[in-house]
Amino acid sequence: MTQSDPTTSDRSAAPRHALPTPPLPPAPADRVEDAAVVLDQAGMTYTVRSAEALGGRSLRSRLRGGASGLRTTTVEALKPLSLVVRQGESVGVVGTNGSGKSTLMKLVTGQLHPTTGHVYAATTPVMLGVNAALVRQVSGEDNIMLGCLAMGMSRVEAEAKYDSIVELSGLEAKALQLPLKAYSSGMASRLQFAIATAVDPDILVIDEALNTGDAQFRARTRSRIDQLREQAGCVFLVSHSMSTIQEMCTRAIWIEQGVLTMDSGAKSVTRTYARYTRKKARGDHEGALALLEAERGVLKRTPVTWPDDARPRRTTAS
Amino acid sequence: MAESGDSHSQGGTVVLTVDGSGLGRVGARPGLGRYLASLWEFRSFILFDSRSRIAGANSTNALGRLWMVLNPILDGLAYFLVFGLLLGTGRGIENFLAYLIVGVFLFRFTTQAVTSGSRSISGNASIVRAFQFPRATLPIATNIRELLQFGPTLAVMVVLVLVIPPMETITWRWLLMIPLLAVQTLFNVGLSLILARIVSHWVDFGNIIGFGMRLWLYLSAVFFSARRFEDIPPLMTAMHLNPMFCVLDIARQSMLYGQPADPARWGVLLAWTAALLVIGVVFFWMAEETYGEER
Repeated sequence: MTQSDPTTSDRSAAPRHALPTPPLPPAPADRVEDAAVVLDQAGMTYTVRSAEALGGRSLRSRLRGGASGLRTTTVEALKPLSLVVRQGESVGVVGTNGSGKSTLMKLVTGQLHPTTGHVYAATTPVMLGVNAALVRQVSGEDNIMLGCLAMGMSRVEAEAKYDSIVELSGLEAKALQLPLKAYSSGMASRLQFAIATAVDPDILVIDEALNTGDAQFRARTRSRIDQLREQAGCVFLVSHSMSTIQEMCTRAIWIEQGVLTMDSGAKSVTRTYARYTRKKARGDHEGALALLEAERGVLKRTPVTWPDDARPRRTTAS
Repeated sequence: MAESGDSHSQGGTVVLTVDGSGLGRVGARPGLGRYLASLWEFRSFILFDSRSRIAGANSTNALGRLWMVLNPILDGLAYFLVFGLLLGTGRGIENFLAYLIVGVFLFRFTTQAVTSGSRSISGNASIVRAFQFPRATLPIATNIRELLQFGPTLAVMVVLVLVIPPMETITWRWLLMIPLLAVQTLFNVGLSLILARIVSHWVDFGNIIGFGMRLWLYLSAVFFSARRFEDIPPLMTAMHLNPMFCVLDIARQSMLYGQPADPARWGVLLAWTAALLVIGVVFFWMAEETYGEER
């Protein structure tokens, strides 16, 4: 303790000192060999440029403050979170609107790049979304070819897939010759769905896609998704339908206000989440908050390490 | 002390050691060599994208394709009225009408290609967000589309040069137009790649491009002769280093005056093209991961 050289004394004394009050418990490490998707402290902060709200300032201060009327705000849509999803898991994602579910899914598919941390996957995840606009000026037929080629198919592969895409979309030959801008939003999203499912992805991200279209199309979507789920190594399903998640998923995560709140079996997460939304709907905000805090308190966090610090560097293949 | 275990009610921290050998970073930018190879792998996408949109682009105007020819003719007419007749900038230029036509048509090719190329990422946000493909395919496809669209316009230019008196005759030198257009297209691609990245991050810059292209047009001896600046050496040098002046001069010498263009024109043009292509590809590739972001 009174040695003159502090560095050697610290080093030699450390284990003895650490014994009574360990500052950091040595976290037990589990090995994962079959990871499909890994989020390593991935978080997202948006910088939003917005016009100044008109009500906020007096006319005079607005005149004096210059004509731009623009300000930038940062929004932390997703706090850094770690998540490991294995091959064969299907993960339901629940959370209220604006909680960061879609941001999380965009990080998984690579459409957005996390502002902190990294996202890794075994193959490029494919998103089945409801945002239907592909190339508006171009016919449905050409959009099918464009979409297939954009996913990396060759000309021959794309032509081979063409008929099955048309069949799944349920669009008539006449409609396929019209430019996309002439489509109703329902027709366009059917086409988008059919194109996006043309590849048989290993990792599939389904963002509310089950709720589009009419009853007939929904039945067809359902059977195609079931098919894909059977083939896919891993599925993410964002839905507000708790029964869908219970039916289709083995595991679920609950994201609330950009924070990972629960990560457990699909049944227990959907039930807890349903309890939370019921409290909210009843106006019991304190109860809802208490539930949220309780769940966050017992959440088992799973940070990620790489053996020999060998974190993946290459890009994902499709 | 935190405990691991399967029970989810206990909380705490479990460090997972993940075998990363089978994983890759989602959307990661590949190395430059791999990136160039992936552009080649997406060649059918490039070709299909460039061809499918020609029909779409023309369907919004009633006169459709005709505008691709009418526009440069009307431009040429306006310049002829203002500069040729009123200001007399054409004095001393042999076959001024053909001189003007070659200038207007060829400059317009670059204006169109660079303007639409610079918007090829920002204007295709939906397809960029929907699929993961090498983004440089879009500016390249846009440039191929512009080249294909320029075909009929080029034919009209040739016909005009042939029929407007004094009528020119076709010589072997006209074949030089083929390598010239090839180099000009590569030049456009390089410039488009640089501008496409800038515009995708800062949409306001699109407005500056329109202004810049017009200024460049006025400075490239489209409707006056570069010989005006013979007495001012710095201006003359600047003109000779202007890649678009080089394009126009080579075309005019080959098509109108039947003599070889100064080899320095080819040298300057090729140097610009090579530099823009290299800088453009690297500059565009460096931001590859960011093109899908919402702004």
